[in-house]
Amino acid sequence: MSEPTRRAMPRRRRFLKLVGVGAAGALLAEVTRDNRASRKTDAAGLARETELDQAQTENALLRMQQDLKRALAKPVAERSWVMVIDPRRCIGCQACVVSCKAENVTPPGVFYRTVPEIEFGTYPNLNRVFMPTNCMQCDNPPCMRAAPPGAITKRPDGIVAIDYTKFTSREAFEAARQACPYTALYFDDGDFYTSDTPGGTQPYETRRFYEYEGEYTRAGGQTPVGRARKCHFCLHRLNAGMLPACVTTCIGGAMYFGDRNDPQSLVSELLATHKVMQVKASAGTQPRVYYIEDELPNVRRLLSCRVCHR
Amino acid sequence: MKERMLTDSTASQNMSPTPSSENVSDPTFCATRRAVLKTSALLGGSALMASRAKWMHSIFAPAQAQAPGPEYELAKAENILYTTCLQCNTGCEIKAKILDGVVVKIDGSPYGPRAMWPHVAYDSSPLDMATVDGHICPKGQAGIQTQYDPYRVVTVLKRAGRRGENKWMTIPFEQAIEEIVNGGLLFAHVPGEENRVVTGLRELWAVRDPALMKSMADDVARIWDKKMTVEEFKAKYAAHLDKLIDPDHPDLGPKNNQLVFMWGRLKAGRAEFISRFVRDSFGSINAHGHTTVCQGSLYFTGKAMSDQYIGGKWTGGRKAYWMADTANAEFIIYIGASPLEANYGPPFKAGKITKGAVDNRLKIAVVDPRFSKTAAKAWKWVPIKPGTEAALALGMIRWIIENERYDRRFLENANRGAARADNEPTWTNASWLVKIEADGRPSKFLRADEIGLGDADSFVVLRSGQPRAFKVDDEQTVVEGDLFVDTVVGGIRVKSALQLVYESAASRTIEEWAQICGIAAQDIVDLAREFTAHGKRAVMEPHRGVSQHTNGFYNVLAVMTVNLLIGNFDWKGGMIYGGGTYDQVGSTPGKPFTLSKHPAKLTPFGISIIRHEVNYEKTTLFSGYPAPRNWYPFSSDIYQEIIPSAGDGYPYPIKALFIYMGSPVYALPAGHTNIEILADPNKIPLIVASDITIGETSMYADYIFPDLSYLERWEFHGSHPSIPQKVSPVRQPVVAPLTETVTVFGEEVPLSLEALLLGLAEKMGLPGFGPNGFEAGKDLTRPEDFYLRMVANIAFGDKSDGTDAVPDASDEEVELFLKARRHLPPTVFDPARWEQIVGPRWWRKVIYVLNRGGRFENYSDAWVGDQVKHRYGKLASIYLEKVATTRSAMTGEYLPGVAVYLPIRDALGREIRDEGFALHLITHREIFHTKSRTVVDYWLLDLMPENVVLMNVEDAVRLGLSEGDRVKIVSATNPDGVWDLKNGRRVPMIGTVKPVLGMRPGVVSFALGFGHWAVGASDIVIDGVRIPGDGRRAQGVHANAAMRVDDYLKNTCLVDTVGGSVSFYDTRVNVVKV
Repeated sequence: MSEPTRRAMPRRRRFLKLVGVGAAGALLAEVTRDNRASRKTDAAGLARETELDQAQTENALLRMQQDLKRALAKPVAERSWVMVIDPRRCIGCQACVVSCKAENVTPPGVFYRTVPEIEFGTYPNLNRVFMPTNCMQCDNPPCMRAAPPGAITKRPDGIVAIDYTKFTSREAFEAARQACPYTALYFDDGDFYTSDTPGGTQPYETRRFYEYEGEYTRAGGQTPVGRARKCHFCLHRLNAGMLPACVTTCIGGAMYFGDRNDPQSLVSELLATHKVMQVKASAGTQPRVYYIEDELPNVRRLLSCRVCHR
Repeated sequence: MKERMLTDSTASQNMSPTPSSENVSDPTFCATRRAVLKTSALLGGSALMASRAKWMHSIFAPAQAQAPGPEYELAKAENILYTTCLQCNTGCEIKAKILDGVVVKIDGSPYGPRAMWPHVAYDSSPLDMATVDGHICPKGQAGIQTQYDPYRVVTVLKRAGRRGENKWMTIPFEQAIEEIVNGGLLFAHVPGEENRVVTGLRELWAVRDPALMKSMADDVARIWDKKMTVEEFKAKYAAHLDKLIDPDHPDLGPKNNQLVFMWGRLKAGRAEFISRFVRDSFGSINAHGHTTVCQGSLYFTGKAMSDQYIGGKWTGGRKAYWMADTANAEFIIYIGASPLEANYGPPFKAGKITKGAVDNRLKIAVVDPRFSKTAAKAWKWVPIKPGTEAALALGMIRWIIENERYDRRFLENANRGAARADNEPTWTNASWLVKIEADGRPSKFLRADEIGLGDADSFVVLRSGQPRAFKVDDEQTVVEGDLFVDTVVGGIRVKSALQLVYESAASRTIEEWAQICGIAAQDIVDLAREFTAHGKRAVMEPHRGVSQHTNGFYNVLAVMTVNLLIGNFDWKGGMIYGGGTYDQVGSTPGKPFTLSKHPAKLTPFGISIIRHEVNYEKTTLFSGYPAPRNWYPFSSDIYQEIIPSAGDGYPYPIKALFIYMGSPVYALPAGHTNIEILADPNKIPLIVASDITIGETSMYADYIFPDLSYLERWEFHGSHPSIPQKVSPVRQPVVAPLTETVTVFGEEVPLSLEALLLGLAEKMGLPGFGPNGFEAGKDLTRPEDFYLRMVANIAFGDKSDGTDAVPDASDEEVELFLKARRHLPPTVFDPARWEQIVGPRWWRKVIYVLNRGGRFENYSDAWVGDQVKHRYGKLASIYLEKVATTRSAMTGEYLPGVAVYLPIRDALGREIRDEGFALHLITHREIFHTKSRTVVDYWLLDLMPENVVLMNVEDAVRLGLSEGDRVKIVSATNPDGVWDLKNGRRVPMIGTVKPVLGMRPGVVSFALGFGHWAVGASDIVIDGVRIPGDGRRAQGVHANAAMRVDDYLKNTCLVDTVGGSVSFYDTRVNVVKV
């Protein structure tokens, strides 16, 4: 019976290392308190800290939400949002794609996020690599330069934001789309999934929704119909203390998000301890999405975006 | 609902009314009501919903937000309800986010083990969890579109044309109930059926007296035991012979059995509701599920292996199986399984597998002809030839035994005492001695009395050459046996069970096994070596690719035997049985409610339509071999047998078929054979479907009763062997029902399965429903009367002293409970009524559970040291005595009792070669779809608008095919490659070729879930108005009709005659370019 050496470090110790993060219940009580001033500190949550299950602290989602809370406590300019994607853990399920569509109410043909895949090798020694991708929120965004002045802006926290009031023509969209090396921009042509069905357009398509720092509805051709649309790191969720929808719904656990300015954050830790790449970095775009390119230890195969991207 | 109908009329102008029949005797009768109903047969928009929601919103207007911009409503606890997904059968815990009365976003619930890893402590407040989203797969995310499917049926439909013609009329609920109960000339408006008299349910409810039924049941058992003759039976029940299907064969049971209720996806809660109606109140034995179309032989091999010897006899075992403790295993061989795409896997297992891989904790191997997404993460992919899984497992067994890499200490334990002494929760019969007949056939275990060593209930092992008798559950005596025995004891030739396994494994060399599998011998050795290099933290986990073959039962037995060689059952990181659920029925002492209480419970008896759990030979139908159709003594819920048996009238014709949430036509291999029977009203005179759309099977119904979606109804989804914690996820209404409101027992309820059954019960006067339906003072007039009491039972827990109960909900939580349901109408949420149903003592505990979407044991509670807390903890057999001493009803031959490799065979045991067909057809599942119902989700169609015919590039080149070519799939039993819908329409099985690297050459596959012609994919006519189908739902190919029809059964697919499974992966086909 083999006992791999990694178990030499008892789980208990890892638990102690992480206990500073706080109990799941307690930390989340604090997160939510930011948005619900009326709620008192959850005494029960604090009590739970004493019976903290070590396993809970290993929950990456809860840890990242705690990271998020620390970032939100700082002024916007001091936050630096980055996304880290581990393609080894992506299983190509595209839950993120659908979650994004529901969250941001995007019409047919508009995808803030896609998960292309490639199969290669020689039978039966094959590989399939999945590469989740969305707007890279570049620090040097070509789309911004190609768009009308003020239509695309760079926020101090790193998010590349579309101003729907200033980005109103199809031509402007085309210019920005072509400038983007990541095909991250889409045009909302006002289409619906259910408009031609016997039941007519269904309420989930015309409902109120949130993007950036506004509330919208696509009913009756209202904004953002007729506008360029793209991923905004779910800014509306970040402001509510929540991780982007693609991150929370990732069943493979491939998605990480957080504040790079915070050395304690999980994303900072990942960037410090893994070999990572940025896609098309040579274009000088300075993307804020990083891809882990380590090998799977027991597979000895490259399951990295490096397969196609340099 | 009147309000809604009126507001809908503008949205549905294309469905203008034409005169049609409400009153059957006057087809031109057109009431005002008709004009109202016409607009609401399908889900016609949601005007009322929006208006009601706006009103609600104004009452609970949110406080001004603090963050920049408007407040994010979906982050508020009051806009979130916790329930359970049903986009597939994994049943992940979800949070439904409601905005203006509409469910607009679904995310994973942090409370559930399937949707967050590790899940949060159960006592976490739902107020705190509002901003915490768990994970959920793309189907789960797209559930909103199942809810708001514009093709949902919302009023009762009656067939206006011939079966399958898809012409419907809307009729009032009360009329449909009246017609089904009383029968008569119900379809006189249909050409050819002018004089067809339909037998109503009232007439089929023949035996109503529980005492009479019980007495008859007991006497039928006597007939089977040769203690009573048929003539004696007839004399005794001379006054009641008219109540029997056939007095000369009393073991067919009463006419009650001619009502057959079949279901596809059914979960607890509704399962008990249906059982109460069909079995307890109506007295039919024919309530059957769909297990054999899923992974039947996995269940039924598990059932046979878990059979326990108690009180001198084998007691039957449990319909369940073992799976890996994924979070703690070090090596898992997924065989015929792709947990990253299907198999109860993705949300629950994906993170554990991928994290295990990157952390170097877990290595996986995948045995699958297709290079699946799971294989993409594997250390080793073994593209095996389909149907040879047992050969691979036997090769591994041979290598493991010959290299002595098995757990000797574990296998030598013969009884509970020995297992306990070794701190082993389970043990096997590896060392038990089996008698060998003169012809070499292993038969029964040697009993101690046969060699004068003890009584007839004691088994025997050999230890150091000496026989030793023992009782299997004896805790005090440690009995261990030699593993490899082939000798004579007391004049009786015996072998040990493991010796028999070894002989089966050693019947071929590893090279020969590898050749059968079409793989390298080194592959078998590599797998076996790695499998035996991790102590008990290695698992060989099978799923459908192992069980859904004609040899499925023995494939599963072989794979499970591999696991038992290392004794990994109940160990952390090994094979586990699951933490199970909290009892919701109230069958244990102290429970708040005993929901099995019934004032006049019938005990159904007789041979079921699928001839299950009974030996052919002992019935009055025995007439030599082969029987007209197979008998299934070791299986149940044999889905593919229901409709064809009715078609053949064997063992008897049926009069009425109810189909709940099932589509055998679409789901079954060779499902087209069911169409031929369903389309003929003379074969099944009455078909009633409960469905949320008009599907590939319900289109042949006489009546369709619209059901609630999974987001509108109650259910108790249960657990799964992979989940080590004890969990009871609850499915509860989270949005207002879109179906019409009807009245049953004076109560307003939404049209639903429950409304259908309550309405029938009320009309017939069935006991067990209505006022005092449980007992005096306890009514069953509404769904909540049943389900809320189940929630109370879950809240109470499983300790009779109540110490396992959940806390009372705080005032704050009660307030949240009410506020979060402010959008629900009184037909589904009436807090005063709810509190009255469970009573003040349990009310706040019920709220506590519902506020969390169920009850979930904390994550780390699942393990105690190196073992799981919730254990199988019993004998697990590698030699199956009962199976080995049973004859096949097809061949008359005894069945093998240990793991063996069998080639692909028809029901009569004849090997199938179909040599003119060059390719081996299999199916696979993309994670984007469940079989028959997710095509309605447009977001999923975005990901993959159509499925493809996957084949290796080598095959494509050889056949002159390129990517995008269109090919027809043909086979020996479907040379035209079509679905004949028996309504004048033929749907060709034509798909688009996709050559890939990741497919074993010689094998082709298509993903299930596409190629629909119903569920909104084709035009239908309701009340004379044509409603156009949506072409997006018709894309791709559904090639099940190419799957082989059995040469003997003739109207059924190939089957596993022992385990009951249908064969999905044993057909040879050609692809023809079109």
